Amino acid sequence: MSRAASGDFKIDRLYDAALDSGTSILLTGDDTTDIESVFHRLLTANADEQSIVLATDDNARSVRRSFEDVEGGTGDRTKVLTAEGPARDDDVTAIEDISDLTATGMSFSTVIANAQQQTDRFRAGIFLASSICKAVDDTRSVYRFLNSNFLTELRRGDGIGVCALDTSADLGSSTNSIVSGIETSFTGHIEITDSGITDMTLSVSGIDALPDTIEVNRR
Amino acid sequence: MQQSVLTVDSKDAPDLSTIVDSEDGMSAVEVSSCSAVETKLTEESIDCVVTGYEIEDDTGMDVVDTVRAESPQTPVVLYTDVSPGEIDTASFEDLIVEYLNNDLPDAADRLTFIIDDIIGHSVQVGFMTPEDEDDRIEALNGYDIKKLPIEDSFSRLTDLIASHFDASVSFIGLIEEDQENFLACTGADWDSMTREKTMCTHSILQEDVMVVEDVREDQRFSEIDAIENFGIRSYAGANMTTPDGHVIGSVCVLDTEPRSYSLEEKEELQQYAETVMEILELRDTVQTGDTPEVEA
Repeated sequence: MSRAASGDFKIDRLYDAALDSGTSILLTGDDTTDIESVFHRLLTANADEQSIVLATDDNARSVRRSFEDVEGGTGDRTKVLTAEGPARDDDVTAIEDISDLTATGMSFSTVIANAQQQTDRFRAGIFLASSICKAVDDTRSVYRFLNSNFLTELRRGDGIGVCALDTSADLGSSTNSIVSGIETSFTGHIEITDSGITDMTLSVSGIDALPDTIEVNRR
Repeated sequence: MQQSVLTVDSKDAPDLSTIVDSEDGMSAVEVSSCSAVETKLTEESIDCVVTGYEIEDDTGMDVVDTVRAESPQTPVVLYTDVSPGEIDTASFEDLIVEYLNNDLPDAADRLTFIIDDIIGHSVQVGFMTPEDEDDRIEALNGYDIKKLPIEDSFSRLTDLIASHFDASVSFIGLIEEDQENFLACTGADWDSMTREKTMCTHSILQEDVMVVEDVREDQRFSEIDAIENFGIRSYAGANMTTPDGHVIGSVCVLDTEPRSYSLEEKEELQQYAETVMEILELRDTVQTGDTPEVEA
């Protein structure tokens, strides 16, 4: 028995391509605004999908507005777990303490399971994993969370996922090692390597549907 | 192969054993307390633990805590109708557990699917794995380590390495699926260690020599009791890579003081790791009777 269905996930709001179900992407960069732009363009849901976002630093309204900025009407297809602000409706789950990854993980799994009662297809994301790393004392619990919850839900379900990490965050001496450690368990890595006034350059590895380098507008 | 699932009897999930036993290939071992969980994990080979939340005298989170302490890589499922918001996780913030609400219409089906999945994928471990993990383990299993006469050679090598780098500890370790096995160790008496507690688990994820100048400043290691208890402050590890490109282990030096390693020292450590692999390959070739391929 497998819960995963087949089907490509178009990412044409970022680039004219489609990702296989189960694809997991580590998205890194040192500019939060640029990371946010790429993150939301990858995760904006189509009509038969839902976006599920674990937001560490933004409230639900802000997350939905970011999706609406990408494409009008998509904010309604969004379920948000947020460490900032209250749960104002059924599609928002408040996380009291982002460093409590046990509670966060259980809530994340519950939101995915409930979403799947409505539609199988989902795009899940974490914005920002670097904030979680900063909040916890032991990085092993972040690895366990990613393994047990995030990557597992992607493998089992019909979805894609993006885990965003801001490399400018103060993670002590281990930022690069944490990135290279996490990277190995994800399907691919998109790194925002350069950004100008209007465009940014994305370096891509591990994702067959995308070239090694992409130039996209900053929006 | 039959999967042995430890089920913890609870008010909110009274039918756990029935669900598990009804699935082909799974058998339930039923207990009703944390102490019984601890005993069973010690006495029997358990592939997975499933618990409700409202168990006798304790909660399901106490069960998870017990499993993590006794057998950290054994997966646990919390199967309950108690919502995540009502579960007290204040003392269990980094345990991480698979949660399944048993109010869902297809909860029983989901449970057996999840049990099978988490056993097969080792999904609850506190470390990331290389992308070639399955092939890497297969490559490692290709060496019949127990039959190879390598112990004396490797012990001499770790003596040399410790002396060369003036390090407190030097070792050669193989990273297996669940643990690191130490083939030789100078300066400490280690046989094996759970994988998520070893630094080599992380060093095999990167191509070059991994150096941790001060483990107390590195979030990946600062909370690992074993490292603290041994007084370890610095680490350098070089990959042991098979001819097919799979990293099966590490050659490492540890010290009780923070320290850095020059580019030259890192290259030397890598050369020691390559020497270890050459010895391993040659001994394996002699053992299996294969003719080694010689490059022109």
